Amino acid sequence: MPMSFPRCTRPLLALLIASAVALPGQAGERGGPGTGPNVFQGKHLPFENGFRVYIVSNMAGMGAAVDMKEVMAGTEAGAPAQTNTASFADYEGRFRSLLTQEANAAVRGARLGGARSFVVGDAHPGNSFGNILPWELDSAVVLVRGFPRPIFMISGLDSTFGTLMFDGAVASAGSKGILPHTFGFDAFSVNGKPLNEVAISALIAGEMRVSVSMVAGDDAAIEETRAMLPNGFVGIITKYAVGRQAGITYSPVRVRQMIAAGAAEAVRREKAGAFAPFKMDKPYRVEFTVQSSMSDDVVGQIAAMSGFTLEKTGLRSFRFTTESARQIGYLIDAMQPWVTR
Amino acid sequence: MNCHARIPRAALVAATMLVLASPLAAQGTGRGAAWGGGGAVPVTPPPPLGDADTLPPDKYFGVTENDLARTKLEKLVKPGGFAVYIVTDMEGLAGVVNNGREMSNGRSGNSPDHQRFRQELTDELNAAIAGARRGGATQFFVVEGHGANNFRNVLVDKVDSAAMLLRGWPRPNVMETGVNSRMNLMMVVGNHPNAGTPGIIAHSYALGGPMTVNGMKLNESGISAFIGAEFGVPLGMVSGDDSYAAEMKEAFPSAEVVTVKIALSGSGGAMMPLPRVHAQIKAAATKAVQRAKAGQVKLVTFSKPYHVAWCIRNTFAQPVYEVMAKPQGFTLTPDTAAGPRCFTYDTNKAEDIGTIMNLVEWAALKP
Repeated sequence: MPMSFPRCTRPLLALLIASAVALPGQAGERGGPGTGPNVFQGKHLPFENGFRVYIVSNMAGMGAAVDMKEVMAGTEAGAPAQTNTASFADYEGRFRSLLTQEANAAVRGARLGGARSFVVGDAHPGNSFGNILPWELDSAVVLVRGFPRPIFMISGLDSTFGTLMFDGAVASAGSKGILPHTFGFDAFSVNGKPLNEVAISALIAGEMRVSVSMVAGDDAAIEETRAMLPNGFVGIITKYAVGRQAGITYSPVRVRQMIAAGAAEAVRREKAGAFAPFKMDKPYRVEFTVQSSMSDDVVGQIAAMSGFTLEKTGLRSFRFTTESARQIGYLIDAMQPWVTR
Repeated sequence: MNCHARIPRAALVAATMLVLASPLAAQGTGRGAAWGGGGAVPVTPPPPLGDADTLPPDKYFGVTENDLARTKLEKLVKPGGFAVYIVTDMEGLAGVVNNGREMSNGRSGNSPDHQRFRQELTDELNAAIAGARRGGATQFFVVEGHGANNFRNVLVDKVDSAAMLLRGWPRPNVMETGVNSRMNLMMVVGNHPNAGTPGIIAHSYALGGPMTVNGMKLNESGISAFIGAEFGVPLGMVSGDDSYAAEMKEAFPSAEVVTVKIALSGSGGAMMPLPRVHAQIKAAATKAVQRAKAGQVKLVTFSKPYHVAWCIRNTFAQPVYEVMAKPQGFTLTPDTAAGPRCFTYDTNKAEDIGTIMNLVEWAALKP
């Protein structure tokens, strides 16, 4: 363990004092308009001194994985009863551990590049957002896991972070990538520009003045993300898509080497100011079509419950306008339970 | 302690019928068709569910058994040493967020995560024991306080060999079995915040909200400390999430508090690295024993008679109410002003509260 206690307990103490008081939450930190303060929103994560890295771990985009049975436990809440009796063997026996080692590789690389404080967010819904094995994770990492949590793709990210990395980007819904999806949407755009999961998160992070410095994933995901994020990033292609459940894959050992090298390079370039936060013009005009397993009614109800007013633009299609990118995150949070169901 | 949604009795009956109807069961009884032999397997209806199913047997729960357990444990405490009484739970362990698969084997009957978190429980417990030993403690009595697997979660072959475990259930009192005046210090590992608070798997036994003693809200650790305090055992060290830590710091200002995770919902949060948590628990346990020896750990006591108030969880309403209503040596007063499933009780014995919690557990678990 590279750090000493006094350094890590001080901010923790401050955090405890802060969290003992019910956080009033500023206007921008709340859920959907009218939902009232949520004590979990705006909470800050414990940290070490030095350059902070937030690594989003997304199992669907990890090296070697091409099939749902490799990245879902089969026992998630709402899974069909017949699959709810045992976990998929490859998921439990291999891919959870490989995923954890990938995250460790990213941390190792980032440390080499000069980072000193690490958060890994388990952003994939397998096993209720509990894919990474906490007991195999690098001992310097604060691991964000479980669901729900505020803006689940990047929970706890704030302006104190030096950079944001994605280990496991997936290509957007409908594209020619491996396990392509965009949360629970068939289509998603802001100001008319289609965004994938990485780009949506990058927009929210951009408002916190945090830029994306590394994206690892299949070739389709990296290519489309390059087009969406003009400020650039270190892209690592860990597999090549040859079907929605098929790919040409590197050995996990090779993937870990590539990711470690990429993360080190990303931190060095980020520190040199090579990447700028991703920004778009406000107000954001958000347009989306939910996937066909959801009905118009359901979307309307979810939105209303969370305090969003959506304008219906077509079959399963909606529009809303907001000044805050966080609101996009909160809307996706509200949808997610219905997506995994 | 226990926070699982209970299986409705109808489901239990159905499950019993299924077992009885299975070819294997038929084989076992020596009647009906053998496996693959064809022909109808006779279905034996399950025995009627009588009082035995809904009511705990008196002998496990009475005041007499508290005395018995206490006497037995007292005899095991060697004079002249420093005995630590460690209450364990699992919801407040580092890494834990999910009640379904991490806290019990759940519907699958075999959850790898639950099994692995039993190791984490043992690791954190061992860290507390190692730390206490370094601080000068000589004996370690460990209570299995997590209901899954019928209060048997610590890995017996992995736990520090100096520890004695209080495991299995039913047993007198739930989380404070046999605590007595020969113990020098109480510690709690892996507990969780009160029901209704913004913490990870926040609950209070199978209650609908926090129990209060003389108007003060006590979480499960608070109840443990309250019972321990009557025997002069102060609470020296606790571990859990940030919401729990805040509760404990307020109620027990002289206890060492280790925060192992930050809640981001009832089932999500930011986890401190496990090795760091183990080191922190070890350090806190050392400090707690040293401070207890120096007389710096304060006993938090309440004035007698204790006025205890609680409401049972609405999902368990009927069976719990039945249990409560039957005479168990306690006369409970329904508190209709507070709610339909609320009770009050006045007593001079803190252990009585442990027994009442045991009754609630019975309604929830029915082993």
